[in-house]
Amino acid sequence: MTITRRSFTTGALALGSAAATGALAMPAFAQGKKPTVAFFVKNVTNPFWKACRIGAEKAAKELNIDLEVVAPTKPDNIEEQTRLVEDWIVKKPDAFVFVPVDYKALVPSIQKANKAGIPIINYNNKMTDIDKVTFIGSDDELFEYEMCKYLFKSLNGKGKVVHIDGVPAAITAQMRKKGFERAVKENPGIEVLASQPGQYRRLPAQQVFENLMQRFPEIDAVVSANDDMAVGVVEALHAAGRGGKTKVVGIDGIPDAIQAIAEGKMFATVDFSGHDQSYLAVQAAVRTLKGEKVPPEILLPVFIIDKDNVAKVARTPEERAVPSWDKTVKS
Amino acid sequence: MSVAVASRPAGHLFGMSPDRLFVVLSRLVALTALIVTLSILSPYFLTWNNLINVLRHAVPLFIMSAGLTVVVLTGGIDLSVGAVLGLSACLAASLIAGGHPELGIAAALGAGLACGLVNGMLVSYARIPSFIATYGMLWIANGMAYVFMQGEVIYGLPAAFRTIGTGMLGAIPVPILIMLGTLLILHVIMHRTPFGVGVYAIGGNPVAARLSGMPVRRRLVIVYVLSGFMASFAGLIVIARTNAADVSLGEEQLLPAIAAVCLGGTSLFGGVGGVAGTAVGALILALVLNGMNLLGVKTFWQAGVLGLIILLSVLADQVVGGRINRTST
Repeated sequence: MTITRRSFTTGALALGSAAATGALAMPAFAQGKKPTVAFFVKNVTNPFWKACRIGAEKAAKELNIDLEVVAPTKPDNIEEQTRLVEDWIVKKPDAFVFVPVDYKALVPSIQKANKAGIPIINYNNKMTDIDKVTFIGSDDELFEYEMCKYLFKSLNGKGKVVHIDGVPAAITAQMRKKGFERAVKENPGIEVLASQPGQYRRLPAQQVFENLMQRFPEIDAVVSANDDMAVGVVEALHAAGRGGKTKVVGIDGIPDAIQAIAEGKMFATVDFSGHDQSYLAVQAAVRTLKGEKVPPEILLPVFIIDKDNVAKVARTPEERAVPSWDKTVKS
Repeated sequence: MSVAVASRPAGHLFGMSPDRLFVVLSRLVALTALIVTLSILSPYFLTWNNLINVLRHAVPLFIMSAGLTVVVLTGGIDLSVGAVLGLSACLAASLIAGGHPELGIAAALGAGLACGLVNGMLVSYARIPSFIATYGMLWIANGMAYVFMQGEVIYGLPAAFRTIGTGMLGAIPVPILIMLGTLLILHVIMHRTPFGVGVYAIGGNPVAARLSGMPVRRRLVIVYVLSGFMASFAGLIVIARTNAADVSLGEEQLLPAIAAVCLGGTSLFGGVGGVAGTAVGALILALVLNGMNLLGVKTFWQAGVLGLIILLSVLADQVVGGRINRTST
């Protein structure tokens, strides 16, 4: 990686703040007092954030720290998360492990936390214009690109494809779609029939796809920006007696998508693990508090789940093995 | 319809529009205009399969909005319908997936009835404005669903149960038959029974309704119970279709439901409108989404287009129906 001025400054900032906060927070460990980490999630409704909580709790138990899970009661609510951040600045925990419900709207709040000297470990959705120790996450664009590359290869580079978009305003949905567009560009034999919004949710995606089936009697593959929608598409195909003819792929690796892959109803998905992200994020927080150096960005590897490896994949976050810090950070 | 109007001479007395038929007709005009436009724009639109498809999509929305319509007719509002739908869906899915379909259905409908009963008591006996009472219930139902589900998703429901969402009776999907049955039953209740006539009277003029000796409070309770029941019934149909339930199911269901009621010509001030109009309203919403998918309207444009068509449709109602409403007052 070439060091651009920007990445150099953010890196230096990250190292600087890591060193500073490490020194500040040392007493907690030195006095033998358990450090407290405020762990933020976007909501308590989506199983993705439950997996994140479980990953974080595993790390907290292993490292013997107090973990406080902070979630808005109104799912993904910007105003409420802003208030929660302000409340927690007052409570002054040893670190924030933070995911913004909106990567731009929460910037001023996190800047306040910066001023208060609370180290920020940012996970899942990357924030800019803040001082963060590190960002831990998955590259949405790369994930969907790799998923599509794998799918298009199985179609021998030819076929009619439908894309189901996520929530139009969500940065993840935009990045995932970019990955799709990049893969399509590289495969001139792929024809995009339609690209329509499924709001990242099963019922809207199912209905949108039922509408699209009226127009397109032949669809070779469906690329869905997440698994919840992919499973909705699978339901629609089977209800219409068109199951098995269309290859459906998603992103996330939710239990019912894994089940559908095992049953041969769905083609593949990419493992977008909130469990691993949050486990590593809490690890990063504790390592920072101990004064260790943490790289400014940690990206999880792409792992495609298909019928060949599906039997070995853990269905629930509870069963899932924790990732190795050293291996992930080195790769 | 005309019989219903004739048998309800009290209607005029309570300040209701004398020509309800005209209101429904103006909604049908909007619906027809939309259908004609779409069939010109897309060759795939006017096919049997697609029309069945649109009807099927409108079913859960219609059933939920039909219950809400009755509340709105009394001049109230039930903001808890989406949350009650979500809670019922979660309760039902977990019990049904656990091998107890009868229990699951009973628990779902029971939860809907219970939420509705509490809403009704709060509104009619504790005299809390319906907007606040049902807003509180929205959060209670959401909260119960959160606690019950613990962030889980339940999936894989038995085929027998899924009939109500995906089954076919000959060439007609079962949910469409359920929708037609619901529409018929509610229409009869609202126009041929003292209860239904009373609901219109309460919405038209609550003081006059009370002075006329009508059991206003008891009727109001029943209205909210009905709304809760319909929301939980819609929840059952939704999970039968998606084969899964999670707590987010009820999110974003409330505003489309209110939109369907308004698009159907029911006045938010009460006393004017009806469930037949709401069926048209639900169909308009389903049609717009279907049309945008068939025409390939870009993702970023869809929200705006949806809003525009809702406003145009209501505007058409004002232009066509406004004259009649003015002359009647």
